[in-house]
Amino acid sequence: MPYCVNCGVELSAAASVCPLCHTPVWHPAEAEETAQPPFFPTNREEVRPVSKRALALLASAMLASAALCCRILNFFLRPGQDWWLYVAGAAVMLWIWFVAPLLARRIPLWGRLTLDVFAVGIYLFVISLATGGDWFFHLALPILSVAAVLVFSLSFLLRDRRRSRLSGIALTIGTAGLFALGIEFFADRYLFGDWKPGWSLVVLTICIALIIPLRVVRRMPSLRDEARRRFHM
Amino acid sequence: MGAERIPWYKLDNAGALYSALQREEYSAIYRFSAVMTEPVVPEALQRAIDRCMPRFPGFAVRIRRGLFWYYLEPNRAPGPFLKKDIADPCQPVRFHEDNGWLVRFYYYEHRISLEVFHALADGAGALVFFRSLLAAYLRELGHDIPCGRAAGILDPEQPPRIEEMEDAYARYAGGPSARGMYPPRAYQNTGTPESYYTFRVTMGFMPLDQLREKAHARGASITEYLCAVLMQVILQKQHRERPHRELPVALAIPINLRAFFPTDTLRNFIATIRPCVDPSLGEYTFDEILAQVRYFMKLHANRQELRTAFTRNVRFTTAPLLKIIPVFLKNPLIAVNYRLMGTRPYSGTYTNPGVFSVPDAMRPHIHHMEVILGQATIPRVHCSSISYGNILEVTFAGVQAETDTEREFFRFLIREGIPVKVESNRPGA
Repeated sequence: MPYCVNCGVELSAAASVCPLCHTPVWHPAEAEETAQPPFFPTNREEVRPVSKRALALLASAMLASAALCCRILNFFLRPGQDWWLYVAGAAVMLWIWFVAPLLARRIPLWGRLTLDVFAVGIYLFVISLATGGDWFFHLALPILSVAAVLVFSLSFLLRDRRRSRLSGIALTIGTAGLFALGIEFFADRYLFGDWKPGWSLVVLTICIALIIPLRVVRRMPSLRDEARRRFHM
Repeated sequence: MGAERIPWYKLDNAGALYSALQREEYSAIYRFSAVMTEPVVPEALQRAIDRCMPRFPGFAVRIRRGLFWYYLEPNRAPGPFLKKDIADPCQPVRFHEDNGWLVRFYYYEHRISLEVFHALADGAGALVFFRSLLAAYLRELGHDIPCGRAAGILDPEQPPRIEEMEDAYARYAGGPSARGMYPPRAYQNTGTPESYYTFRVTMGFMPLDQLREKAHARGASITEYLCAVLMQVILQKQHRERPHRELPVALAIPINLRAFFPTDTLRNFIATIRPCVDPSLGEYTFDEILAQVRYFMKLHANRQELRTAFTRNVRFTTAPLLKIIPVFLKNPLIAVNYRLMGTRPYSGTYTNPGVFSVPDAMRPHIHHMEVILGQATIPRVHCSSISYGNILEVTFAGVQAETDTEREFFRFLIREGIPVKVESNRPGA
């Protein structure tokens, strides 16, 4: 008949720790008494995962029907232009984003991100073919590459579970600032042939101005505690 | 020959709520367990289940989704079948699994457990079913157990009575309904959720006579006393967290309306009252909290106020506008309403079905009783208690990793001089 030295409650003879305060239990008669079956059953019933196949089928049917309807509509509405390809491309992109993860849940995060970026690239390429011009290779692809590098880096950094919420927010804000810089760099290069830093520097400055106080709060325990109290975190 | 007409039952307003809210992260399931003095004989228990189910048509149902509301219809599928007990009880109900059964039966060593979806019945109704089942089980083992409505044991050989299926809310609702804004937000007492689906149960067993003595010495009933202990523990927990502004601590206490409005229904017939202590007004001693709880319950647990409370709920489900909204749109509306009315204003739930009384012939075969409430909509503990003989059992159940609430609760009772034995399904316990 063991008791918790911390809580004072009586414990089960088979208990190795107090369930209330996790204080280890030691009792000399352990060998004899733990032969009893545990008070609660120990077999865990496997919870069947929610069937995502049906959901994937439904989403696929919806996307396919949207593309098909637009194809039919295209025969009557502006038949000279293949505008239905925009819808079909968007449907393919949405399918890769949302339905593919439902069907193949074992794809690692980097694999899913690669697929997502690839889907956006394909969609933009289809649009560039329809509209003509060289904007895909000189503007869209570089910006997409910057976005991909930044998203990969951010997801890699945020995977560390020890990272605090404040650090996570600061990293996300910093990534957004760098992305703005990248957009302006490639847009200027494409439109004017030269980079003339302008609005993206304002965005980046605002991001830095937000990051600095977050880092200060993160580094100073007293400020961090105060922020936790204020926001009831 | 036309097709056989399948009868159907309308859900009462509590049933409509629980059906609309049911999802994988919330379990409107509760469990009663009887720990017998002898190991359970599963074959005899399955026979007892088979005999009892036709006598309780309110439990032998499946739920169907209509265009505007869920409804119940008799379940003619095989079962329900007795299963070996599992480590994480009160798993959420899935309407299309387990042949559509909304009641579950488990056994483990000496323990017989019944799990019921709250849309079917409240604790009082389920206890009549459970008591009758235990009597039928003991009869299967050769014991002579008498039946009798006064003892709460219904004869499985008799046909069911229509009064047992009555929607007592609809019968007694009327007059003015409770009006006003949503109750103010209370401290939420949430913790860190465990991985899906891990359900942590911690039970404390204590001598009823000693607890009653302590409660009576302070002029309170056991329910009021335990409710006050829980409120004090939650108040202290909030204080330790040093929030910018301390929120009120309020508990949801279900009241069995059968004591106020006579009915033989086995379906839901409860209303909730909300004793509350506001720490922003100043510090409260335990005796002051107990006085708040005691006087609140005496003041507000009366026919008139309870009727206005459940009349509002009945009118909510019978509102013409709400009636014509399809169920898939209605469910989110009900969920938001429940969040504002049923979750946000409360710090936790405490329910005490009271004494589990059985005839003398059954008494030697039952060691103690247990009760568990299913997973809340947010990661916090539900507290419940039940007594049998001289053992009172208090359960804390939830999906959160922390044990602060139950630890301080049982430590308080220890400090009061009441011995407590603790059992838990947490690792190592």
